[in-house]
Amino acid sequence: MSDSLFRRVVVPIASKDDARATTRALVSQNSVPETVVAVHVIEKAGGAPDKASVEQRERDTEAMFDIVRTQLSGYDVDLETEILYGTDVAETIVEAGHDLDASAIVFTPRGGSRWIRLLAGDVALSLISESDLPVVVLPDEPEVEDE
Amino acid sequence: MSAGDQELARDLGFLEAYTIGLGTMIGAGIFVLPSIAANQAGPASMVSFFFGGMVSLLAALSLSELATGMPKAGGSYYYVNRALGPFFGSIVGWGMWAGLTFASAFYMIGFGQYFLSGLGSYIPLLAESELGITVAALVMAAILTGVNYYGVKETGSLQNVIVLSLVGLILAFLALGALSGPTISEFNPSGWPAVAATIGTVYVSFIGFEVIATSAEEIKNPSRNLPLAMIAAVVTPTLMYIGVMWISTGTLSIGALDASNIPVADVAAEFLRGFASVIPFVSVSPGVLGAVGSIAMIVGAVLATISSANASILSAARVNFAMGRDQILIEWLNEVHERFRTPYRSITATGIITLVLIAVGAGIGTLAEVASFMYLITYALVHVAVVVLRRAEPADYDPDFRIPSVLYPFVPILGALACLAVLFQMVVSFEPMVLLAESVVGVEIALPFTISVVGIIGIGIIIAGIAWYYAYARDRAPSQSLVGDAIAPEPAPATGNEGQYRVVVPVANPETERDLLRMAAASAHAHEDDSAELIAVNVIEVPQQTSLSQDVAFEEERVESQQELLSAARDIASELDIGLRTRAIVGRDTGSVILDVIEEEDADHVFLGWAGSRSTREHVLGSTIDPVVGRASCDTTLVKLGPAGTPGEGDVMVLAGEGPHSPVAARRAAEFVATAGDDATLTLLNVQQPAEEGDEESAQERGEALIDDLAERAGIEFMQYDREVVVAEDIESTILDVATDYDTICVGATRSGPVTQAVFGSVPETVGEQVDRTVVMARGPEESTMSIREAIARRLST
Repeated sequence: MSDSLFRRVVVPIASKDDARATTRALVSQNSVPETVVAVHVIEKAGGAPDKASVEQRERDTEAMFDIVRTQLSGYDVDLETEILYGTDVAETIVEAGHDLDASAIVFTPRGGSRWIRLLAGDVALSLISESDLPVVVLPDEPEVEDE
Repeated sequence: MSAGDQELARDLGFLEAYTIGLGTMIGAGIFVLPSIAANQAGPASMVSFFFGGMVSLLAALSLSELATGMPKAGGSYYYVNRALGPFFGSIVGWGMWAGLTFASAFYMIGFGQYFLSGLGSYIPLLAESELGITVAALVMAAILTGVNYYGVKETGSLQNVIVLSLVGLILAFLALGALSGPTISEFNPSGWPAVAATIGTVYVSFIGFEVIATSAEEIKNPSRNLPLAMIAAVVTPTLMYIGVMWISTGTLSIGALDASNIPVADVAAEFLRGFASVIPFVSVSPGVLGAVGSIAMIVGAVLATISSANASILSAARVNFAMGRDQILIEWLNEVHERFRTPYRSITATGIITLVLIAVGAGIGTLAEVASFMYLITYALVHVAVVVLRRAEPADYDPDFRIPSVLYPFVPILGALACLAVLFQMVVSFEPMVLLAESVVGVEIALPFTISVVGIIGIGIIIAGIAWYYAYARDRAPSQSLVGDAIAPEPAPATGNEGQYRVVVPVANPETERDLLRMAAASAHAHEDDSAELIAVNVIEVPQQTSLSQDVAFEEERVESQQELLSAARDIASELDIGLRTRAIVGRDTGSVILDVIEEEDADHVFLGWAGSRSTREHVLGSTIDPVVGRASCDTTLVKLGPAGTPGEGDVMVLAGEGPHSPVAARRAAEFVATAGDDATLTLLNVQQPAEEGDEESAQERGEALIDDLAERAGIEFMQYDREVVVAEDIESTILDVATDYDTICVGATRSGPVTQAVFGSVPETVGEQVDRTVVMARGPEESTMSIREAIARRLST
């Protein structure tokens, strides 16, 4: 399996809800990745004041990583986490994918109306269209009741 | 997070930091205030602007030192809370939040004035009216709130373009205005008191540089860029304000300025008329040229007010976040939006308050002055914070920028006094204020001075901050004020140890806390009844990888149980009638934190609980206990609590061995017995091997002599104690046997110094481990750092 697409995957996490959904999708696949590098990009304004304090978002990021860590704890997966900083979220993820020697970038789409995507930026589209690494889009699995 | 990552998060260079500051400073102030300031003080209001700039410059120096020492989100609030504790933290936190919302409302009404009054003369539909201005201000404030709620991306280049074009516009205004030859008729028509009063009014235009401090965590190379940007962001606008006042009052009459809602645009229109004739080749009518200048200034004003208000709303969210981080504010407010990654609740709250302030129609001058008031209070406390931090010198505070030594006590002292002076004249005027008219109660009740409306609002906000502290923050926010450290004299050299007898008691387990504190109190009481003091310490340990502040947030439960533990300690202490202080500390390593506390408090004694089991290879008694026992420079007592009974009562036995610390153990035992009174007996026990043939004295006699000698060395010979000598071959197993006849066993360390195999010595540790009773292991201070007092005491006792 060492050459497979799922050898070492970079998994961008966008929020706490996304952390739950993405991890759920990861482990419901037939082949669970060997190594998961969960990343979150803290978006920088590049010269203007940021929309939120960096430290504030770093704390929120740690909470997301905790969710991933908890949900993956029962599986045979190596988990690494990495906070990234950049002005362009998709670009930063792809760059990190190369730096982290990733075999693929794996994520779950978050849906949302066109209006929301316009406001928040359509990272999923940019990832698919701009990445020179393999990109795997996992379907969002429904939540299991007894969790 | 590694240092490398931290650098990535910092993307503001000097120019960006400077323009952010400038963008907030060149806001409504420069465009709106000339009308109000001219009315109050005429051309002499230039002096008011100059002094406003000076007050800010002093604040910028102090803030720079604080911000480079602690480059964290939150700005002045964070520094004041850190230095002066949550009481002042609550005042400044709420004060800054209020100040920023009042300032935002002020900027927005300024926006409305320019937008409507300015465009109204060109677009008849937007005719000038109070209602129109308010509506325009409300709409714009709502839009800005929405923009920040959704986190629409603002790029650095846009910010730079806006600010640089504003600067260009104002420089052009200044240059052309100066060329037109402004003439000032009467420099100071209203007198110097009016000039002084105007400082308070215009100070609102100087609060913008604070934005640089609130974003300190994002600035590259903060030790250089932060002070430079802050000082430059104060000096540049100060010069601009003075210039704009000079040209405005020299071009239009005070009456005309006062009547104008868009003073700078009117001034530009006026002086540009004169240039129509000098433009070569084309003929331009003076009116058109004036209109062009006027529109340029109106566009500038609209951009400037929006940029100022936007920065204020963002800053307010930073202050909220920092307050939440310190448990002074509800964390709920600081939730980051799932999708937009913005602190949407905090933004919404700030937006709503701003809208309310615009809607109630408090008047643009009042809004400006309340914002000034809140920031003057803040900066006064910032100056105090600098002095406190310099004196207290906490280990983690090492600012890269320091106020130059020739200026040091001068800058914060003068700065604080200047803030207070401006505040005072804003709030108090020496005219009697009638509280109850004569017609109501028959007698007129009046104050000898009048408190202004601004003063009443400002003081109200401060009182609200204080009320919040008592109602909410006091129980939650860890008190970390450094004021005590700052006031305390330099730690006295170890020549004497006069003053309080201090016992440090690390507490971690709610079940054993009471017994531990009781025993520590018994020991403390025996020393100096009136001034003995316990210091209960609890340490939340965080692993190396996580940052201290980060972990605390996730470990709210741990923080909560820490607070419970320490508040229980306070209750127990008041029952025991002993002074107790608590210290809640977050640290990497409990052992070294406790050693630090012992050092800082100049403690006489440390009292540790022990579970009674041995630890891994690396540590003998535990990772916390080993270093403390090995290195503490004071009396050290380790207690393993027995299964039943009240420890320290009942039959107390001292193992009277020959070890160097047996007298210490005897002293501890005596302290317990003395406190317990009739409920306790004291026995000194010695185990002797049978006398060899030919010894002069029997084993029994030898043991008794040793016990008496020990009692004397311990200074307890006046107490009633039983002597018990057991003669046996195997000393260790005999001790273990006999020990079960007693309730509490005290044993002195048999060896000193940090040793690997046994920290206390093998006999004490075996007793502690194997005897199912309360076991007290004691030793004196580490020999190497023995205090002179201890040395003298020993000399005297021999």
